[in-house]
Amino acid sequence: MQELADRALNAAQLEGATYADVRVVESRSQLVEVKDRRATALMEDQGLGFGVRALVDGAWGFAASAHPDAAEAERCAALACRIARASARFRLQPIALSPVAPARATYQTPIVRDPFEVPLADKIDLLVRATGAMQGERGIAVAQGSLRFWDERKLFASSEGARIEQRIVHSGAGLCAYARGGDDLQWRSYPTSFGGQYEAAGWELVERLDLVAHAPETAATAVALLSAPQCPALATTVILDGAQMSLQIHESCGHPTELDRVLGHEANYAGMSFLTTDQLHTLRYGSPVVNLVADATAPRGLGTFGFDDEGVPAQKVDLVREGRFVGYLTSRETAPLLGLASNGTMRAESWAHIPLIRMTNINLEPGPWTLAALIADTDDGILMATNRSWSIDDRRYNFQFGTEAGWEIKRGKRGRLLKNCTYTGITPQFWNQCDAVCDDWEIWGTPNCGKGQPSQSMRTAQGAASARFRGIQVGVGYGA
Amino acid sequence: MSTPATAGAAALGAAPLTREDARGLLSEALAMSAAEHTAAVLEARDQSLTRFANNEIHQNVTSRRQTLTVQAIVGRRSGIASTTRFDSSALRQVADRALALARLSPEDDRMPTLAPPAEPKALAGFVPATAACTPEERAAAVGAVMQAARARDLTSAGALTTAASALAVANTLGVFAYHPDTYANFTCTVRAQDASGWVDRHRRDWRALDVLGLGTTAIRKAEGSRAPGEVPPGRYTVVLEPAAVAELVAFLAWLGLGAQSEQEGRSFLSGRMGERITGAGVTVVDDAFDPRSLGRPFDYEGTPRRRVSLIEDGVARAVVHDRRTARAAGVESTGHATAPPAVEGPLPYDLVLGTGTASLEELIASTARGILVTRFWYNRVVDARRTLITGMTRDGTFLIEDGRIAGGLRNLRFNESVLEVLSRTEAAGRDAEPTQFDYSGNCVVVPALKVREFQFTGVTRY
Repeated sequence: MQELADRALNAAQLEGATYADVRVVESRSQLVEVKDRRATALMEDQGLGFGVRALVDGAWGFAASAHPDAAEAERCAALACRIARASARFRLQPIALSPVAPARATYQTPIVRDPFEVPLADKIDLLVRATGAMQGERGIAVAQGSLRFWDERKLFASSEGARIEQRIVHSGAGLCAYARGGDDLQWRSYPTSFGGQYEAAGWELVERLDLVAHAPETAATAVALLSAPQCPALATTVILDGAQMSLQIHESCGHPTELDRVLGHEANYAGMSFLTTDQLHTLRYGSPVVNLVADATAPRGLGTFGFDDEGVPAQKVDLVREGRFVGYLTSRETAPLLGLASNGTMRAESWAHIPLIRMTNINLEPGPWTLAALIADTDDGILMATNRSWSIDDRRYNFQFGTEAGWEIKRGKRGRLLKNCTYTGITPQFWNQCDAVCDDWEIWGTPNCGKGQPSQSMRTAQGAASARFRGIQVGVGYGA
Repeated sequence: MSTPATAGAAALGAAPLTREDARGLLSEALAMSAAEHTAAVLEARDQSLTRFANNEIHQNVTSRRQTLTVQAIVGRRSGIASTTRFDSSALRQVADRALALARLSPEDDRMPTLAPPAEPKALAGFVPATAACTPEERAAAVGAVMQAARARDLTSAGALTTAASALAVANTLGVFAYHPDTYANFTCTVRAQDASGWVDRHRRDWRALDVLGLGTTAIRKAEGSRAPGEVPPGRYTVVLEPAAVAELVAFLAWLGLGAQSEQEGRSFLSGRMGERITGAGVTVVDDAFDPRSLGRPFDYEGTPRRRVSLIEDGVARAVVHDRRTARAAGVESTGHATAPPAVEGPLPYDLVLGTGTASLEELIASTARGILVTRFWYNRVVDARRTLITGMTRDGTFLIEDGRIAGGLRNLRFNESVLEVLSRTEAAGRDAEPTQFDYSGNCVVVPALKVREFQFTGVTRY
């Protein structure tokens, strides 16, 4: 790996690069999916490749290849420089990078048990038992469980002298029960939707989730949803559980604080942001109970690493402090435009992609309430749990979310189950209507965050707790 | 023996992997396998993309990727492994890993047999000029758009993509299928201070994109939607441009036109085959050989793609199959297997919606009061069985009054059932455009539609 990186860097500099970096990435992943006690997917991927990024005449070029040999490294380095020269013909301002001390370091995700060392038979057996336990509930159409594991080893080397080796291990596990009755289809997931919980962790995550123990209640709730009343259409108090809050934070805080979006780099695809630079340190983003940080050092987060893909050390930075908007996610290219240094958020999906500003772990700091006390303090409202649907405009103002389940709250007590719960709002209004945050904090993984052209999928995380919002429009989409 | 160097030496203008290289690699991979039966899929892709924002090129990339996926079958057990390395030792390893997974797998009494050899219909999808497109050519093409935008004090952003791919499938029953193709896309957003316009075009031949012409359209839309007005949420007649229709129709594929969701009872079609599910006159087929589509002639199991009539005159007629769902249904595969391990089951790859006779201008001219939608954005499923989708308008939303564009509008949120939208369609455009979704590779070929009582439920701030 090291020799390949050196060859690429030397070739790029000989071709005129004023800066170059190379990432060599070796990856392994495993998917085990079981439906109704039958293994429907057993798959292992292995990949190896490298990408060279070169800055020539103030413009970027990038070339990547799955052929990790010296000749290909030199071809890619030269091609990256040629592409950069083509880019430079159409630059208005040369790109300048914020300084970073070139690190020589290693980092490894702390894990208790390597998930790839766990026998496959044990993984299949776990999911067969869990899906079998869900099938025991009358009315279940499909009982599904899955396990996913990733092991990525990467070398980052730059022409400035950085040499960083990292091993990042991610694990994920979850269940989903689909119930069918008449014309209706409802489902319930554990511990959250779209494949379950994902963490920077090993097999210990799977053990902690105890899928089999939670299977019966998951299935029972899916069936109960079929006969539950429809979520009404009205403005009311909403309490969102931590898993739903995770995606709310991801979409309405994480993305709009990405400085590349703010600067227009994603204008044609992912979109821009209402958090324009004139709003920094002035906008009242939320109420005083709202505190949000980007923390790439948080234990177990999918956005936790030693260094980002520009060699910048992992950091914890404020985004929203006591409701005021105070910070962005930045890179070496974007931070200097605000007179700042990068806070280390650049990551690439693979060796074949350039790094982009990506959420690390975007964490809502916990508040003083227990969920039970918050429900007891709520006269009339709806508790909504587990994301089912999410949509937000391209500047991150107008959103609509749906959840798998909801419960009426009447006179401080959790009441009837409700189905097809949805809510909508405008981001800064919504966060200013937050009057309580709970202490049931968890770091939730989002394994499929999309951004960039060519599109890249990234694993990010959000630390979240249950929270209460006043005067929220619910039941949208199901009206006349 | 084929080597990585062979695969990496593809000349400009050529497919990333030749038929002979693909045959050699797949033969070697099958020979390495000690399983009873083995199938293998080889994909290689050279892709380049020149991206611009704020009237300058800010990202400019190229990558050469390849993946070999091996499925090993032992009795009624199966395992799948993949690799990006093609040297002999990597081929041996991937075959051994697939076999190890198969031996650990529980017995699967629904497992289908491998596809038998069959000759797919010819489909010419490779354009050497696209494969040969250079960084300088891409930069010059987008440069002309950026200069045009800058000259009018507007801001442009977008991307020009050129790609050459090869897909090859083989199995131990004698299947060998190979298909090279090319793909080109130009997408562009032009921003005025309080407005924006957008275009997007997908072709096999990059020279057919008319990059500057498209950029000029985006400029015109941005300038035409300045100082946007606002309409309250409610039901409006809409004229949906093909890109907006594509976003809606694509959801039908995911929500139920594949046999797996239909068999599991999750599809909007489950239990409704043969019934009227949408408006009379609505026809949806899956047809890889439609000349406007960007399809491939066979699927990931090596089965030739068939044309499947899914909705005829508003009546649910069929779903697409792979070998697993076909076996369960007692029918033949239609050639719609997705990439291994195919967790979503078979899916339509080339949905084609029937066209009408009107031009887009005629659809607008026939509308007394309504809204013209350039595109929808961030569309997500609210209720799968009802095909209920929510999303936003974006980059060119206009008020129509007395058959003319009266000005730009602030963007709106919609909540609509796709099947009900098709039921309320009053007229379809005569020209259909292909849209290929980069996250799935699926293509949708649709015209513009004029739809009554389209439900908008919210307004945003721009």
